[in-house]
Amino acid sequence: MISYNQKRFLIVDDFSDFRSSVKSMLGQMAAKHIDIAANGEEAIAQCRNCKYDIILHDYNLGEGKNGQQVLEELHQGGLISPQCIFIMVTAESSQAMVLAALEFEPDAYLTKPFTRASLQQRLDKLVERKIALQPILAPLAQQQHREVLQACEKVIKAEPRYAPLCQRYKADALKALGMHKELEAQLTSLLAERPMPWALSMLGNHWLERGELDKAESSLEQGMSQFPMLPALYDCLAKVKVAKGDLIKAQTFLEQAVKISPNSPQRQAELGKLARANQDPERAIRAYRQAVNLGRHSKFRDPENHLNLAGSLQDQAGDGAPSPKALLEIRQTLGDVSKSWKNDPGLTARADLAQATSLIKAGKQSEAKQLALNASEKLGSLDTFFPAETALEVASQLRALGQADQADTLLSTCAEMYGDDPKVMAGIAEQTSDPAILTAGEHAQTHNREGIRLYQQKQYPEALESFRAAQAMQPRNISFALNTAQSLVRLLINEPTPALREECMACLEQVRSMPSSDHRHERYRKLCERLASL
Amino acid sequence: MSSQDEGLEEEQALGFSTVIASTVHDMKNSLGMLMQAHSALAAKLPAELHSSREQAIIEYESMRLNGMLVQMLGLYKLGVNQLPLQPVHVEVEDFFEAALARYHDILISHHIDSSYSVATEGMLGFFDPELVDSVIGNVINNSIRYAKSAIHLRAWLEQEQLVLAISDDGDGYPKSMLEAQSDYILGINMSSGSTGLGLYFGARIAEQHQRNGVYGHITISNNSALGGGEFRIYLP
Repeated sequence: MISYNQKRFLIVDDFSDFRSSVKSMLGQMAAKHIDIAANGEEAIAQCRNCKYDIILHDYNLGEGKNGQQVLEELHQGGLISPQCIFIMVTAESSQAMVLAALEFEPDAYLTKPFTRASLQQRLDKLVERKIALQPILAPLAQQQHREVLQACEKVIKAEPRYAPLCQRYKADALKALGMHKELEAQLTSLLAERPMPWALSMLGNHWLERGELDKAESSLEQGMSQFPMLPALYDCLAKVKVAKGDLIKAQTFLEQAVKISPNSPQRQAELGKLARANQDPERAIRAYRQAVNLGRHSKFRDPENHLNLAGSLQDQAGDGAPSPKALLEIRQTLGDVSKSWKNDPGLTARADLAQATSLIKAGKQSEAKQLALNASEKLGSLDTFFPAETALEVASQLRALGQADQADTLLSTCAEMYGDDPKVMAGIAEQTSDPAILTAGEHAQTHNREGIRLYQQKQYPEALESFRAAQAMQPRNISFALNTAQSLVRLLINEPTPALREECMACLEQVRSMPSSDHRHERYRKLCERLASL
Repeated sequence: MSSQDEGLEEEQALGFSTVIASTVHDMKNSLGMLMQAHSALAAKLPAELHSSREQAIIEYESMRLNGMLVQMLGLYKLGVNQLPLQPVHVEVEDFFEAALARYHDILISHHIDSSYSVATEGMLGFFDPELVDSVIGNVINNSIRYAKSAIHLRAWLEQEQLVLAISDDGDGYPKSMLEAQSDYILGINMSSGSTGLGLYFGARIAEQHQRNGVYGHITISNNSALGGGEFRIYLP
């Protein structure tokens, strides 16, 4: 007999009748600590204050976040432990929700209406399961993946009924540990026995990440013939097609995924991106519109979707003026960016520029000019610089709006920060033929390449000299600064002098403005940590 | 009739069934509210009224209604290809317990004993628990109606297929139904109302499950250990 008097419950539902009915059911099961919340925001706030053992969450809360979005935020925010039991309560069949739950699945679904006997049976079972899995869940909560692996083997032997669950924990742990060979072996042997949706999609992603595109493709296609309604498989196949350079096919697969499960803003944004690249503005508009609407209450609300929606509406009009309806939608969408992200000068400047671009097409020159000037001014005070792709887009908008000087400044910063990437330089060359911008980095790059060669030969002091030379020429280049900092850290381990320390800090300070989306951001963060610990 | 007309007619039929389906959906939600309100009200009633005949009727018939609406929605989704199979590993004992727990109060008020057994402890199945549960739920519902005093759920493996069986100690399926079971399963004969619909639905859900070219199926018979009817669903 499981006792509930020590367990902390949270009931989340927008109907007070339902809350009190569940509360009284729990009361009959001797539960004492029962909190309630009427919406997702309240639920998240309460989870900040209290570590609940059991959460009963209604999926559809009317306006605001749905249950899946709340569950995702709880996971992302570290507000829910693996030991917590999260039950998604649904008014109807859970099919559509199961499909949308790509990454974060609840422990169980419970369909309304239910009786006390049903609730108790469900809870008893789930508590029992969490107890049996505790050897796995405890290290998982600490992200000790090796311990998780060992525990999985033990639980599989001791309690075969939990073996299928353990296999999933095991696969996740192998993935987290980067044990690719073992993961591949595990998934292949599981799938040989029986095709399972989660394993099919995980194997597809595994092969995609390993660059084995053909293998990924054939295993995903096989999965699709078994489970034609599984959007995760289409998502992954679309990524494979992108990697193969077939953007048209990728778009068709994502369109199918969206048809099956339209409620994910991330998926809609992905589709919008492909449609824009494929010059299909109608599809891009619909997808980004959905992404904006669906993201409204989500923590993952992404202003890029707004900017892309406005951009797609402009694409649709081509060189002509957008229709009055489109103009209105552009104005509203960009207005939303300026309002919701008003403290981000980079974003509001981009919204201003996009708005100015559409005003020019509509023949409102003076209003456009004013907005372009506003944007230029904001760009002067950026705390965080744009990713290269965005910087190129903004520069070209500035130039089209008559702000050539500001455009060149932006391009030259872009060249300095990202100039060691030939793709970025090619993009810059499309917009300017100014040799001062195009060739500024050549010498620095020679030094940097020399530095890398020396570093690989473990000649650290010599490598540092080369990196220093590169960085002196282009202090804001991300790669040069990180390379210099890394060489300094290596020397600091044996020779912790204040001067080297200071130099290293100054180096990292130079690239503080790199966007957090940059692939080197993690390396930057680790170097900062490393330096602080020395 | 030209093929164009046929296409149009099909489209209209689909349009109409969508209207029906969305109404059924609202009906189900409405019924859910009704059942919730009823159980809240019932909790406030004095003890002697708890086990009244009327209570039992309200509870049983709402569950039956709910089950039929779920089936109708399920069939609609199957028709428009929107019923994705989500098979997972399922602990069969847990699955049976949950199915019986849903009928806990009704079983008591109908004075019917319920039990289950599995061939091996900790037995696992691989199927879509929600879909199969809606099939099993409707069969239990029918069994409660016809059983004299007991229903029994049983699971075992037969040639690598999982078999879930529901039997009762009632009078069993009528002879005509047993003889024509393939007609019911194929949806040719639905004259017996909810039982016929239930068989058709069960067969459709069963055949969604397949492994290495073997498809699931259902059977009905009167050779049950309890003496009444027995429904079986085979899941490869």
